[in-house]
Amino acid sequence: MSTTNADLGDPTELSEDQQRAVEAQLFRLADDELVQAERYTFWQVRAPTLESDLAVSNNAQDELGHARLWYDAIQQLGYTEESLIYESDPDDFQHSTLVELPFEEGDWADAVVRGYLYDVAEEIRLAALEESTYAPIRDRTDRIQGEEEYHLEHARSWLERMSLDDDASERVQAAIDKLYPYALTIFEPVGDVESDIEALGIRTRSLDEMRADWAERVDSFLTEQGFAVPTDTEPATPVGRDNDHTDHWHSLHEEMTSTYRNLGRDTATRLMDEDDE
Amino acid sequence: MTMDIETVKERAGSREFNPTDDMPEEYRKAATRMLEFHANSEIMGAYLERPFIRKAPSIERKLAFSAKVQDEIGHGQMLYRAAESLGIKTREEMLDDLANGDGKFLNCFHYPMESYVETPMIAFFVDGAAMRRQATLKKSSWEPYAHAMDKICFEEGMHVKHGESILRELMNGSKREQEMVQEAFEEWWPRILQFFGPSDDASTHHDFAADVGLKTATNDELRNSFLNRYMEKAKNYGLEIPDEPRIRDNGDGTYEVVEDDLDWDEFFTVSKNEYEGSIQQINGRREAQEAVQWVRNMMDGQTTAGNSPKPQAAD
Repeated sequence: MSTTNADLGDPTELSEDQQRAVEAQLFRLADDELVQAERYTFWQVRAPTLESDLAVSNNAQDELGHARLWYDAIQQLGYTEESLIYESDPDDFQHSTLVELPFEEGDWADAVVRGYLYDVAEEIRLAALEESTYAPIRDRTDRIQGEEEYHLEHARSWLERMSLDDDASERVQAAIDKLYPYALTIFEPVGDVESDIEALGIRTRSLDEMRADWAERVDSFLTEQGFAVPTDTEPATPVGRDNDHTDHWHSLHEEMTSTYRNLGRDTATRLMDEDDE
Repeated sequence: MTMDIETVKERAGSREFNPTDDMPEEYRKAATRMLEFHANSEIMGAYLERPFIRKAPSIERKLAFSAKVQDEIGHGQMLYRAAESLGIKTREEMLDDLANGDGKFLNCFHYPMESYVETPMIAFFVDGAAMRRQATLKKSSWEPYAHAMDKICFEEGMHVKHGESILRELMNGSKREQEMVQEAFEEWWPRILQFFGPSDDASTHHDFAADVGLKTATNDELRNSFLNRYMEKAKNYGLEIPDEPRIRDNGDGTYEVVEDDLDWDEFFTVSKNEYEGSIQQINGRREAQEAVQWVRNMMDGQTTAGNSPKPQAAD
């Protein structure tokens, strides 16, 4: 698909309106990935087997790496990691509430279903950013896509496997029923800036189109595995995208930033190339 | 025909034996005990550090903690596999024993870690100590053990760098940060010295493991090697070595730690998994494992029934 919109150029060349739209797109990407990663790390040293522990750690690190890429793009617009994460008000985050819900101990079905619903949305979203008029988004999209494909394959494989077991199927169905409305919040607008995101070609598809695509793919795969999908449901509230979050997010943010606060830090460590762990 | 112990002792050398050799039970049991202890320690070390993935004060530190914890689970996986190759215990049996409190693991992982300033005590000092021991195990007579050490030592080297980087940052931080680290260091230092176990004359398992080449350095040699390098490093970062336990410098690269200054009652309580922290760590991990027992049951059922769609991908 060729874009009819002009390339937006360097971060320094953006007009005020353009920057506002670029930021809105970047914040939803960065915050989603960070919080999804943060919740994945819950399963480290808690997954059912050593092998699944390694796999879930991979996902967490991939998402963290993506969050870092998106936050870097935001920092090109004059922000810092401190102001974006560690000193930020939790209500300034714009991630979907799907990613902030806590896991119950042992609820591996939630982890698998959440990963699946999120990764399908992620794949669709990245495809809509491939031709973005903003180069820092385009370039990063390309780097991220390969890894997301693997996440999706992994989630699908678990779902196929769980669909063959009665107990596991019940748990998966409960997770679908609980998470589906939250997953719909991924496609909620961040505000009136949404129309600029499309008009400027920062993203080449509308939220409605992407949601329809997502709903169809999710429905088709899950139905094939014998699950019921609550397709007529409304997005859960709070939606997150409008800065309104569940209390779970506030406590998670509190814990994530506790060391930074307790040590009285004013800078977040950048390791750069000094030692590449 | 099973090799007799005398032949084992004669041939004992670096990577001398592998699963094609018919090793005597005594050797296989001793090797299993070492490998199982080592593997368990990887898992329990990861369990201790996991809260700091979330609490790390930057995205890059968070990534490093997540990667380190993942590496440790990977090391556990490799070491259990090397242990299984001895035919004494299966991985399931070893993991079950770890959950029910029968599995033994390193003393330092029995103590709770509350604050981020404590993380370099593990990631720099304990991992640094472990590196000393592990480097010598590349010459272990059980080839699968030595082979696992090649990869593990490489990754452990990265972990020590990560720990050192945190220590350096903290010791270059505010006065308050430096004081907190010093306090943590004083608390952890005796445990770190005990990492190497009692001095050679008091160690019980040493003789056989050394005679058959499973172990290639003594507790005293390893402790000296650690002290030579890490006391210096600690001082360079501005840490003060506590006056007690007393450490006598023999002036020839060797040291004597005054054993009476260390709490060996506590050490032996810890090594029997009976310390308060031991119970807390073991039970915490066991509860997390029991909560996902249903997933393992499902997987076992599918392996037996042979109806798993893509078992290799879904793990």
